[in-house]
Amino acid sequence: MHVLLIEDDTEAARFLVKGLRESGYSVDHAADGREGLFRATEGQFDLVVTDRMLPHIDGLAIIELMRRKGIATPVLVLSALGSVDDRIRGLKAGGDDYLTKPFAFAELLARIEALLRRRSSSPQTTRLRVEDLEFDLLARRVTRGGREVELTARELKLLEFLMRRAGQVVTRTMLLEGVWDLHFDPQSNLIDVHISRLRQAIDRGTDHPLIHTVRGSGYVLRSDA
Amino acid sequence: MRLDLINTTAFRLSVGYTLLVTLAVSVTLGSAYLLTESLITDEVDLIIDSELKSLEEKYARSGLPGVTDEINLRIDSWGRIGAVYMIADSNFERIAGNVTNWPFDGMPTEARPEFEIATIEPGRRAVHPVRAAVRTLPGGDLLLVGTDISQGRRFAEKFRVATLWGIGLSTLAAALAGFWFSYRLARRVDEVTRTCQRIMAGDLGSRLPVAGARDEFDSLAQSVNRVLDRLEDQAGTLRATFDSAAHDLRAPLHRLRTRMDALLLRTPPLEPGVHESVEAALHEVDRLQRTLGTLLQIALAESGTPLAAPAPVDVGELAAELVELFEPVAGSQGVALACRHEPQTLVHGNRQLLAQLLTNLIENGLKYVPRGGAIEVGVRRLSDCVRLTVSDNGPGIAAGDRARAVQPFVRIGHGKQEGSGLGLSLVAAIARLHRGRLQLESNEPGLRVVVELPC
Repeated sequence: MHVLLIEDDTEAARFLVKGLRESGYSVDHAADGREGLFRATEGQFDLVVTDRMLPHIDGLAIIELMRRKGIATPVLVLSALGSVDDRIRGLKAGGDDYLTKPFAFAELLARIEALLRRRSSSPQTTRLRVEDLEFDLLARRVTRGGREVELTARELKLLEFLMRRAGQVVTRTMLLEGVWDLHFDPQSNLIDVHISRLRQAIDRGTDHPLIHTVRGSGYVLRSDA
Repeated sequence: MRLDLINTTAFRLSVGYTLLVTLAVSVTLGSAYLLTESLITDEVDLIIDSELKSLEEKYARSGLPGVTDEINLRIDSWGRIGAVYMIADSNFERIAGNVTNWPFDGMPTEARPEFEIATIEPGRRAVHPVRAAVRTLPGGDLLLVGTDISQGRRFAEKFRVATLWGIGLSTLAAALAGFWFSYRLARRVDEVTRTCQRIMAGDLGSRLPVAGARDEFDSLAQSVNRVLDRLEDQAGTLRATFDSAAHDLRAPLHRLRTRMDALLLRTPPLEPGVHESVEAALHEVDRLQRTLGTLLQIALAESGTPLAAPAPVDVGELAAELVELFEPVAGSQGVALACRHEPQTLVHGNRQLLAQLLTNLIENGLKYVPRGGAIEVGVRRLSDCVRLTVSDNGPGIAAGDRARAVQPFVRIGHGKQEGSGLGLSLVAAIARLHRGRLQLESNEPGLRVVVELPC
């Protein structure tokens, strides 16, 4: 997977490039807006990660110009501006996700993964299946090994979010945004409690649990132990 | 807001002016009327007096027959119009004159008695008012001289009607003019008020209308607009300052965090003790970042920068969702968290900020309410606002500390003091950003936070 990183903070960029390479991505780095725009419109990338405040050309302007040229490559916006309307503006400009600095590297990694996989998943699916866990999206019914599992509306939403991203790491922030539509971090360990309830319902009494905790990142729903 | 004309200064002023005009016209016309009436009466009295005098002189010269002749002569030939004469004996029996019967009951007591006589005029019977004077002649006979004052009376009557019409019409004209003026004034002031309200609501680009009349309103509007220009300018500058502050503070934090992240991901891994230390430091960085973010958010809200893209938010539904989100955590702490909300509690605002407000209040409750306690979130719709209450039965805040509790970095009580001390300040800032009101009350026992958000 080929990622373009547009970031003028050279020190931060060095660590990001190194981390992404270690995680198996091939990374190009552009140090200002002009170079970033050139690379983003000329090269073939699977994903663009851009800082918002850049010398010469602003990060949001790069996205707008890309979209005007018909380049649909997913873009993740990194920004030191974290207010609610900064976020709205970032997504309006055509960005696919918005991450406020400073962020955990694991958070960035999880979001990059989610953006890259998003292109392959089809929203028209009516039935999700991971091992013996089945989710009938139309009837909103869940069974584990053929046995019906009783879940609340919110737990169903949470499970759907995890199942649609089966095999991917999903962070707590991603869950708050995707399941509860909350774009800020409450201080409590809210998500952990909800996940543990869901885990009780899904994995109790089975010898191979599906919901796993990824230390320092979040959760993943996958078939192997 | 409807234009409430009665409660405007202009309206009250014009009512006052109308009353003043009515009073002035009444005094002027009234005194003219009284003056005219007394002039007419004086004239009549003068004539009566001079006739009485000449007839008394006639009597002195030629006795009763002379006066009788003189009266008959005056009645028949050159008598003035409306003249009334009578000579009667001491028993009030008529001797001569153009009145058939003594008009009074005995001797009149007034100096100028008035009475009415009926005359036969061609085709109709008329009653005429007469003003008269009576003298006792030296021989004991009575001499009455009077004047028909019906003409004067008619004139006075007409004058009175005209006066009343004059007062009525001028009052009406003054009232109409006053109403028109006050309506126009109130409308212009109302326009100013509306624009100011729009600006308060966040439309910082709005300006007062200038009619081009070069009057005091235009110059007021221009002055206010200049103030607004400056405010907008300052808000822009402030916003840019916050942006660069955010950037300049977050960028080094970001580098710091990235370095520590890299340390944790390093191969070969750090020794376990070092790893833990770095993780703890990372935790502190995150705390610092959160405090910084909250501070910037408060500063931005307090700077008067309006809400970006406000949209209808159902506060009741949002509260229910957040209570559902927090319920498991509350349950694990042994605290009962519940929500009671009415349907359709719509507020024009920002969902994320309102969610942050609710989150802070619920988290605050969870921080201070002991095991076995309860927190209730309530949302009710009032006539012009949505009232949100978060009540608990925890230790509460003493009345004297409540105002202080909303200030940044102030922590009250002895709870688990983990927070930044900014939670309630952010709640206050978000409420203000929505033109709402925050109030801390006693829940007897415990704390009740009331936030009123205008619809």
